[in-house]
Amino acid sequence: MNSFTMSQALVNTRSSLRLMPVRRAALEQFIAHGLPTSHEEDWKYTSLGHLEKTEWHTPEGAPIVSNVVLGTEEYPGEVMHFSNGHLNEASPQACYARSLAKQADSAPVVQHLDTLTRATALTQLNSALWQDGLFLHVSTKDTSADASAPLFAVYSAGEAGAMLHLRNLIVLEAGAEMLLVEHYRGTPDLAYWNNPVTEIVLGEGARLTHLKLTEDSAAATHTGLTVVQQARDSCYRALSVNLGGRLLRQDVEVNLMGDGAECRLDGLFIADARRHIDQHLHIEHAASHTTSRQAWRGIAAGRGRGIFDARVVVQPDAQHADAQQASANLLLSPHAEIDVKPQLEIYTNDVQCGHGAAVGQLDEAQIFYLRSRGISADVARALLLRGFADAALGLLKDTGLAEWLEPHLTAALPRLEQERAA
Amino acid sequence: MLHIENLHVSIDGKSILTGIDLDVKAGEVHAIMGPNGSGKSTLAQVLAGREGYVVTAGSVRYLGHDLLALEPEQRARAGVFLAFQYPLEIPGVANVQLLRAALNNLRRARGENELDAMDFLDTVKSKLALLGMDDSFLYRAVNEGFSGGEKKRNEILQMAVLEPRLAILDETDSGLDIDALKTVAHGVNALKHPERAVILVTHYQRLLNYIVPDHVHVLAGGRIVRSGDARLALELEDKGYGWLAPDVQGNVQGDVQGDVPMEAPREGRL
Repeated sequence: MNSFTMSQALVNTRSSLRLMPVRRAALEQFIAHGLPTSHEEDWKYTSLGHLEKTEWHTPEGAPIVSNVVLGTEEYPGEVMHFSNGHLNEASPQACYARSLAKQADSAPVVQHLDTLTRATALTQLNSALWQDGLFLHVSTKDTSADASAPLFAVYSAGEAGAMLHLRNLIVLEAGAEMLLVEHYRGTPDLAYWNNPVTEIVLGEGARLTHLKLTEDSAAATHTGLTVVQQARDSCYRALSVNLGGRLLRQDVEVNLMGDGAECRLDGLFIADARRHIDQHLHIEHAASHTTSRQAWRGIAAGRGRGIFDARVVVQPDAQHADAQQASANLLLSPHAEIDVKPQLEIYTNDVQCGHGAAVGQLDEAQIFYLRSRGISADVARALLLRGFADAALGLLKDTGLAEWLEPHLTAALPRLEQERAA
Repeated sequence: MLHIENLHVSIDGKSILTGIDLDVKAGEVHAIMGPNGSGKSTLAQVLAGREGYVVTAGSVRYLGHDLLALEPEQRARAGVFLAFQYPLEIPGVANVQLLRAALNNLRRARGENELDAMDFLDTVKSKLALLGMDDSFLYRAVNEGFSGGEKKRNEILQMAVLEPRLAILDETDSGLDIDALKTVAHGVNALKHPERAVILVTHYQRLLNYIVPDHVHVLAGGRIVRSGDARLALELEDKGYGWLAPDVQGNVQGDVQGDVPMEAPREGRL
């Protein structure tokens, strides 16, 4: 990876002319600063050095990723399928869900795109090189029968050496409601790099429930940012299920700008084999009576590594803010590691804040209890693991998505048992 | 059914049981009483197969098998059941899930067909009714947030569903109010059968008002110091453990306690 290939990628990007100066400026910035290094506090645990050594390219056109390779999957809802960074023409499109590339010059995109992201190197690279992504624009008049069903944005990667800078813009107008599922997946063992940026704008009283399932290939790198801005009384509920990739770095930033805004960020990660999963959450309470909840669970096995770094900032104007952070983690192998860093920064007096974090092992006493009921040791461990993981998935209860997620979860959990036996 | 001979057990090099001899025949109810630290719970845990206990001498035969050679799950499948003094909380696993997995494992081990969901529910609901328990019990996570009394009743429910040949109740009466105590006793009495045996491990005599034992043994200093019939328990109630084990102080007649939450001190919990 060098500045020439990045510039070449920009030349090859088909883009609205309006955005070209923005893209060029962003690329210059990226080239000037380069990828983040472990000298930066936020990147202490995660090195992107391997990205430097690869010649990445942005895939052209919209090749259909073979379903023979990826397998077919039934999605219980409307699907927007992006293959190698481009929207499949065959995707059905609800009126409120479109290609961002095609809508790049529409009024809401002009108004909101690139307004939320902080200028970090990775987001600048995305701003320079994005080819397409989901543009979701929902107003109350869409909140009819079809907007209450989930929308699945599926991102498939099927080209070795591809860098996929997907860009999603989600705008919910005042009072709108939506259930959105992002699913990242790739051809098994293929080395590619996903670097999606998702900007979410919630108007007054808008409610978004957002599930992000990451199942990238075991050789893939995924660096993703989701940034949310919330107006008065809006509600953002998110569940991240991080099961894949060789290296996954997930940044989530939520800005509670309006009084009474609420967010809930839940997550589950499974870092087995040599997987490295680094999650950084940042919540800003910038208005009064705002509420945030974080409940994250992690499992690390083999030589897996997990990081949960969550910062909540309560600004001086955020009286009566209520913030709770919880992180529970299981280590299944002596070579696995989980680092937990919950942080509260409070600049006002009248708040309710708390955090709790724990890293432990499967409890031998619990295993004995189950075995004493005739359940074999392996099944007992599997039951306990499953119970532990399920406790992170409470958000699914009223979404009807638990059944869809089930096979993904069961596929991820037994890997742990194989490792333990090895 | 159960034949224990000269059983010596130590934990971390410390000797806890120093020569237990006990013979339990099918159809019998045995009570094992003793002051705190006498080794009662150790005996119960060793019979169930808890790791960390080292058998330094002696043998345990159960229905002709060398019980100590079996894994905990094999003992359970052979019909041994331990009602825990401190039942474990299993978050995320529903009671009904545990009961079904356990029962079907046992049925497979006995060469019987697994029960389908409907037959299983019928079986469990009849046991719930027997114990005067609510159906909602089934759908709560195992013991999670249960009061002390609910945990003990849940142990008895598991016992009623699994129908063991040898049931060992480890201080199931402690921490129970009088109604819960009667429920537990009712569950145990309903299980009585010429082909089954029960071992009640208890500090206090009061459970024995409701479940009348055929034999009472007093454990002190890791050995059985006295055996007798049900009258021995009453005698103990009068005289206290100091009568048989002069170096210990202990009250046999427990106060009736309220139904309070109870926690065992444990490590490594999340």
